[in-house]
Amino acid sequence: MATFALKSFTGLRQSSPDQINFVSHVPSSLSRSQRRTSLKVTASRASPKLANRSLRVAVIGGGPAGGAAAETLAQGGIETILIERKMDNCKPCGGAIPLCMVGEFNLPLDIIDRRVTKMKMISPSNIAVDIGRTLKEHEYIGMVRREVLDQYLRERAEKSGATVINGLFLKMDLPEEWDSPYVLHYTEYDGKTGATGQKKTMEVDAVIGADGANSRVAKSIGAGDYDYAIAFQERIRIPDDKMTYYEDLAEMYVGDDVSPDFYGWVFPKCDHVAVGTGTVTHKGDIKKFQLATRNRAKDKILGGKIIRVEAHPIPEHPRPRRLSKRVALVGDAAGYVTKCSGEGIYFAAKSGRMCAEAIVEGSQNGKKMIDESDLRKYLEKWDKTYLPTYRVLDVLQKVFYRSNPAREAFVEMCGDEYVQKMTFDSYLYKRVAPGSPLEDLKLAVNTIGSVFRANALRREIEKLNV
Amino acid sequence: MALLFSPPIFIPKISLSLLSKNRFSLLSATRANSSDTGITSPATATNVDVNEPPASTPVVKKEEVEEMKTTENFTKFEDARWVNGTWDLKQFGKDGKTDWDDVIVSEAKRRKWLEVNPETTSNDEPVVFDTSIIPWWAWMKRYHLPEAELLNGRAAMIGFFMAYFVDSLTGVGLVDQMGNFFCKTLLFVAVAGVLFIRKNEDVDKLKKLFDETTLYDKQWQAAWKDGEEDSSSSLGSKK
Repeated sequence: MATFALKSFTGLRQSSPDQINFVSHVPSSLSRSQRRTSLKVTASRASPKLANRSLRVAVIGGGPAGGAAAETLAQGGIETILIERKMDNCKPCGGAIPLCMVGEFNLPLDIIDRRVTKMKMISPSNIAVDIGRTLKEHEYIGMVRREVLDQYLRERAEKSGATVINGLFLKMDLPEEWDSPYVLHYTEYDGKTGATGQKKTMEVDAVIGADGANSRVAKSIGAGDYDYAIAFQERIRIPDDKMTYYEDLAEMYVGDDVSPDFYGWVFPKCDHVAVGTGTVTHKGDIKKFQLATRNRAKDKILGGKIIRVEAHPIPEHPRPRRLSKRVALVGDAAGYVTKCSGEGIYFAAKSGRMCAEAIVEGSQNGKKMIDESDLRKYLEKWDKTYLPTYRVLDVLQKVFYRSNPAREAFVEMCGDEYVQKMTFDSYLYKRVAPGSPLEDLKLAVNTIGSVFRANALRREIEKLNV
Repeated sequence: MALLFSPPIFIPKISLSLLSKNRFSLLSATRANSSDTGITSPATATNVDVNEPPASTPVVKKEEVEEMKTTENFTKFEDARWVNGTWDLKQFGKDGKTDWDDVIVSEAKRRKWLEVNPETTSNDEPVVFDTSIIPWWAWMKRYHLPEAELLNGRAAMIGFFMAYFVDSLTGVGLVDQMGNFFCKTLLFVAVAGVLFIRKNEDVDKLKKLFDETTLYDKQWQAAWKDGEEDSSSSLGSKK
């Protein structure tokens, strides 16, 4: 019955497909179209088989998101083009990846410069709490150099069959018909240093925007804006004896002096430390915050030399529109950075992979044209899998980063072993683990106690001010 | 264990002695505070040598090797009773028991000092003070009980006059009011109001809090709204 209805519909269109594929996911697309404005009738189009070619997808941006997406696409039999503007880009980034990323993406262990197994959280009044007692032998937070990781993922994509182009994406012409290609305008650099490159165009069927926080793909599809934080970081080379302290230890400083809504950090990298801080609401004072962060770590980084200063925007929440027709955003371009910890590498790579998987599945390994409903599957899967994580971290940030007493309570809470176990479990394996109800109750009571005590002390401080 | 059960009979004594102690500790604190911001006294406690005058580092785009600039020399927090990164409870003894109120006040002073003069953390003198060593009843007595008294007083006044007005307007007595659903709702609203709205600013604060809790979810669900409305502006959080 349904095929009969389909047949009559396709008769109305000019170009009829070779073969009417009874697409199995039509019911779900129908409900989608019912929810939308009634004029769009996307579901009734049976996605046509692509005659004598496979689906062409361009991935704009060659970071973790782009590299992972390109690899999955190429392995799925899709003609993939990866466009990256700077092959040796040394991204300003904390560089921390969770344990599950090493397993899920088969990363070689020599990519990881350091394994952080201890963390210190330092409260505004310098109460320091050691975290990491609950980690098992094989568990760690991996610190990587972004240029090494990104290059590795891109190379893997190339080995799987993707074409990697060194070029700068300029803009994109949106298709007029539903099955016209996207026309990408980009500047290709052909290896001659200093050359301005050649302007070129390319036609592709779908685009994955993995070009980061200032995504041009997002602008082209009118994805909307997001609030962003500025992360400011200085790489400091410190004397060897001080470096041994940071051998496998990272530090987090919280306080109004360090950041009004984020934290300052000292992360060890290959042979130096990265000292930085970030903020959303007081971007103009970032230098002051950086000075304060350095001051708090002063004893431990004394005698160090600053070898590099870098800053970068970090999205705070997803863009209003993460996809449009056959263009999808992944990674920082979509705004998949968590609150509270500001973690983005893993989510970028995972979202790139998930989006690519959705394309591979929707196009049946590159044989069929895809449409927006296939990409929506990726959004659904992503939201279902990771929205709880994002929500929990958002609540943590809202509750514990809002004032000095809250931060004191936070640091106190982090001293608790149960908290540490839950935190590391959810960070390293990206699961919001349920835990035991009794311990949860104890934790709730302790949290309320800590917050009460910290606020009481704040009221005492205010009394002293008077 | 006996320490934990210090009877409330001592309350008046404690408050009196607290006043005098306050003056003392204020004096000692001011001595440490005297070298305020701006005076770079070469304190023996700090072991930092500042190479260059503290200036804001210019933004360096290229790789430049420069000495790390640090902030001015502030004196560290010092107090006779702050020993090895924690409060020495033995020095807070009063009649053989620890004077928890004094511990609380001293910790507050320390935090205030640090808010104004943030200090470097140090591996040699780590701060290990944990506020949970102060027993729960000390906190209750000092913070919860006075406020509870205030709020209960407000609730009682409001309750009495509301009951009187309702009685005078409708003739329904207090006992009959309690059986009425509308009156019970009013009672609930009154109690909630007294609990949550303690200052004039609290009304706005509660509204903002509610918006805040739902904002993140809205930002995530935006991708599922297919409207052509300009959702980007409405979903940015207020700066």
